[in-house]
Amino acid sequence: MNPKITRRRLAAAALGSAASLGAVRAQAPSAPNSPQNLHTTATEENRKNSEALSKVELPMSVEPAFQFKA
Amino acid sequence: MADFTDDIFFASIAELNAKIKAKDLSAVDLVRVFSQRLERIGPRYNALALPLTEAAIRRAHAVDQELKRERYRGPLQGIPFGAKDLLNYAGQPTTWGARPYAAQVFDYTATALSKLDKVGSVLIGKLAMVELAGGGGYSSAAASMFGPGLNPWDSGRWSGGSSSGSAAAVAAGLVPFAIGSETSGSILTPAAFCGVTGLRPTYGLVSRHGAMALSWTMDKLGPICRTAEDCGLVLEVIAGADSKDPGSAHKSFYFTPQYYRQPKDLRIGYAPVDFAERPQASARPAFEQALAIIREIGAQLIETRLPDFPYGALTGTIISTEGSAVFEPLITSGKVDELADAKQIAGLKAGLEIPAKDYLKAMRIRRLAQEKIRSLFIDVDVLAAPCRLGPAPKVTEPLDRGRSPEQASPKDQGLSALIPAGNLAGIPALSLPCGFADGLPVAIQIVGPAFSENVLLALGKEFQKRTDWHQKRPPVRNA
Repeated sequence: MNPKITRRRLAAAALGSAASLGAVRAQAPSAPNSPQNLHTTATEENRKNSEALSKVELPMSVEPAFQFKA
Repeated sequence: MADFTDDIFFASIAELNAKIKAKDLSAVDLVRVFSQRLERIGPRYNALALPLTEAAIRRAHAVDQELKRERYRGPLQGIPFGAKDLLNYAGQPTTWGARPYAAQVFDYTATALSKLDKVGSVLIGKLAMVELAGGGGYSSAAASMFGPGLNPWDSGRWSGGSSSGSAAAVAAGLVPFAIGSETSGSILTPAAFCGVTGLRPTYGLVSRHGAMALSWTMDKLGPICRTAEDCGLVLEVIAGADSKDPGSAHKSFYFTPQYYRQPKDLRIGYAPVDFAERPQASARPAFEQALAIIREIGAQLIETRLPDFPYGALTGTIISTEGSAVFEPLITSGKVDELADAKQIAGLKAGLEIPAKDYLKAMRIRRLAQEKIRSLFIDVDVLAAPCRLGPAPKVTEPLDRGRSPEQASPKDQGLSALIPAGNLAGIPALSLPCGFADGLPVAIQIVGPAFSENVLLALGKEFQKRTDWHQKRPPVRNA
């Protein structure tokens, strides 16, 4: 038998496998130490730092400690 | 050749110098036996990055010739030493502890090493370190191309970071002293964990020319030794103006503690909570005893606390931003993925995304913090606190640099954030062994205003006159 594959069927099959692949990816939790998760954690830490800094009252006249001399 | 016992390997610089002057020992003798020991035992603790034995013995012969002609160049003449592998030594690999830089060779030598060479001190090896001095933050003691730094007191424990090899090598009697670096805790922490004495000098006092940059506004080089006195002797040599270091304070240092305010006359700021409550239970007796010794010296103890600032957020933002800028070529080339520690890789990448406004805000708040910390020293001369709250962690334990108690929020009391605060302010600190907890060393830190090294060293000397913690030797197998 030589079933005729129409373009419509082919597209449906491709969409189906992409969708099921997506579903599998969504189901599998990424490892806590995956590069993506570690990057998210690091970014989150930077965001928390930013938040902590924004709570400090900073007069407009204060210049950065660029010309740093102890 | 003289007969060498452990008494030589654990002698102070002053003691070794006396033997050289009395001609009981030659520079070649010392360099040869320390080099052999460093090569044999160093790898046991993952402390050795690169032995330099042949060149060192050649140099030691030249030093002996000078000694024969009675050309004395000071107390470090003929004394072997090691240097953290972030200091350039011309023609030899300088790896920064990181695989992507394993084959890196510079054609010039760091100013600090050149200064030591000029006085006849002999570099016998480069010492292992946490990769890139841990600038991206790291989660494991194994964050180094040399493997985890192992502690000579218990090789199941970490030697601390990032100057891991420098502290371990001094503790195990593999070098009489070593040069380390500190951006935020990298001299004090390994010195405390390994039971040796570490000095973080004032920012700009020691040239960083020829040293790896991590944070231009926070990096410092300093000595790790057996005693406070040795730290003074080494600092006198490596300190001084250097037009090649834009951060140079253009100041010299003369080790003359006798001309400064004496320890019994000092007002020492402390927070009782730091000694009695914050430390791990097993470490509290040692810290309380350290406080009792400071009292015994006659110093006046004054309760104090650090000004409220988000020190953890400040150091985190500044080091991440500057570190990621320094290593941008590594990050963008993708070679950053060759680093050993996944958290460090992620931290460096994320550092590139910190907005300029956050970095500028951190640097503006830093100025306020510096001013407030400077004012603190109107009422006290020195601050004292535990260096770390307990002994070295197990080498397999994850290291949480994110939110440790020392990285305090503004609500925290006492001096628990003294390491980040002191580094932000660029002020000097001395780590002094003060006892043991669970069979491992613990230490206190004493911190003073900018350029108060002589005051700290005088207090350190007095403390070590009354204690023998700095003379304890770890169980190093010689075979």
